[in-house]
Amino acid sequence: MSAAVIVDETPAPIAPTKRARNPYIRGLRTPRGIAGLTVVALVVLLGLAAPLLTRYAPTFQTADALLGPSGEHPLGTDEIGRDLWSRVLFGIRTDLIVVVSAVPLGALTGCLLALVSVTSRWADVVVQRAFDLVLAFPGLILGLTVTAVLGAGKSTVIVVIAVVEAPAFGRMLRGAILSHREREYALAARVGGAGRVRLLVRHILPNAADPLVVQIAVSLSIAVIVEGAMSFIGIGVRPPEPSLGSIVSGSVMHLQDHPSYAIGPLVAISAFVLGLNLIAEALNKGVRR
Amino acid sequence: MSGYLLRRLPSALLVLVLASFAIFAILRLIPGDPATTLAGSDPSPETVAAIRADLGLDRPFPAQYFSWIGDLLTGDPGRSYLIGGRITDLIGARFGNTLALALGALVLMLVLGPVLGVLGATARGRVPRALLSAVDSVSLTVPVFVTGVLLVLLFAVTWRLLPPGGHESIVADPVIGLQYLVLPALCLALPGSAVLARYLGDGVRQALSEDYVRTARSLGVSPRRILWRHALPNALPPVLTVLGMQVGALLGGAVVVEALFAWPGLGQLAEQGVARRDYPVVQTLLLLLVGVYVLVQLLTDIAYALLDPRVRLG
Repeated sequence: MSAAVIVDETPAPIAPTKRARNPYIRGLRTPRGIAGLTVVALVVLLGLAAPLLTRYAPTFQTADALLGPSGEHPLGTDEIGRDLWSRVLFGIRTDLIVVVSAVPLGALTGCLLALVSVTSRWADVVVQRAFDLVLAFPGLILGLTVTAVLGAGKSTVIVVIAVVEAPAFGRMLRGAILSHREREYALAARVGGAGRVRLLVRHILPNAADPLVVQIAVSLSIAVIVEGAMSFIGIGVRPPEPSLGSIVSGSVMHLQDHPSYAIGPLVAISAFVLGLNLIAEALNKGVRR
Repeated sequence: MSGYLLRRLPSALLVLVLASFAIFAILRLIPGDPATTLAGSDPSPETVAAIRADLGLDRPFPAQYFSWIGDLLTGDPGRSYLIGGRITDLIGARFGNTLALALGALVLMLVLGPVLGVLGATARGRVPRALLSAVDSVSLTVPVFVTGVLLVLLFAVTWRLLPPGGHESIVADPVIGLQYLVLPALCLALPGSAVLARYLGDGVRQALSEDYVRTARSLGVSPRRILWRHALPNALPPVLTVLGMQVGALLGGAVVVEALFAWPGLGQLAEQGVARRDYPVVQTLLLLLVGVYVLVQLLTDIAYALLDPRVRLG
């Protein structure tokens, strides 16, 4: 208790030049953060600008199957003559749609469940057991289960990712709320007359948000992997719509005679996932400092 | 110890029971009636009804659930609807293959993880450190189907050292069998190895900065002995938990790796079962996989408690 009355008398150090106060920006300004942001921005731009960057529709079949890279087809063509450059670009697009809708859905579900969970003991038990249950299924096994019910497709992938991600957010926020609401600032706010909702929204959530922001970056990269894996084993985005995982899957049959087929999607997925992870690491460093 | 087990066991069992119920219920949500699918094109209502009765689908939901659990407990989960054959035979034929793959990956993980971790914690100089950290980041983050294709491109297509896919029994011909096993197992082991390396490296680094290490050093204990006898054992317990989680990831990863390398294992069976909506096969297989995972977690917790008295007494 005595810690509360000790006031730090030392004057705040004069900020060294350009040291951002916001921990996220501080983290992202490190070499790691800049590298991650650059790579992810490039991948996202390629996906967004897809229609401008290629003359071929991703499902258009030319007469030439399994061509090597050329001026006309920078990455060659696949087994039914579709331009691979175009498929990779539009594949990135599909991934973006899936990832950008699934991760917020999962994060929101997890956070809402955490809020329900801290209201009563009873609700807590139910929610925590539900999380245990989800976590008892290794990621892709859960994917198979959900797909068995909903059938393969983009929306299934989104549901699977959201379900896989929700417990991480839920556990994290629940833990943060439980620990923060016992801290002195929370007690002080309560003494000052803050109601439950105000205490949560104005005081606890802003203080508990840091790990969640890092988790979003981590979840985005996991989402790219889950989408890729599901499409790779044929239970994800349905053909002929391109996705990065399904292009890799298509290339597997032709690795011996057309190794260049695999290069485009492999580079795109790796860059995307590595970039997102660099961002996550950079944010984590910024928050922890 | 037995007290700890008594506290830990019920929650593991509860998860398992909940999982069995969830799997069963979820699969009953599948649109479409398997009896109609089985009856072929344009069946008479009597045929469909006969098939439904034969499969027990006309019985109420709880009755179906309990008869499934009963069958499981007596060791006979029944027959497959569509793939054909008894489920025990289907699973039995593939279980060994997946086990071989998972064990191979586990062995590689237990070799690669500590080696990379200790190297990372003890490496001097910027370049080796950066290199190790890059290897670690890449194997940690790049998904298995990407590393798998890269491994095939390198070892099977470019250097022609190993087969690109397929399976030969290790028992029948160990040399050939191992050649087929190496790439899938390596591919499956990489992410887990990186996680192990990271945790172990952090643990060792932490341990090396502790007072007891300084004391040992000042007493003239050799650096190697400090690393192996003092730092490493203290870094192990948290890594164990991580290892348990990685075994779960291994099960999920096996589905992808088996698809990529045409490895006839449980993952392939699960994929086939889902594709054909053969739910007796799928539900039994899913419960088996979840069961293995829960068991591994339990064993990890027990091992942790054995290593760290604070856990079992806490």
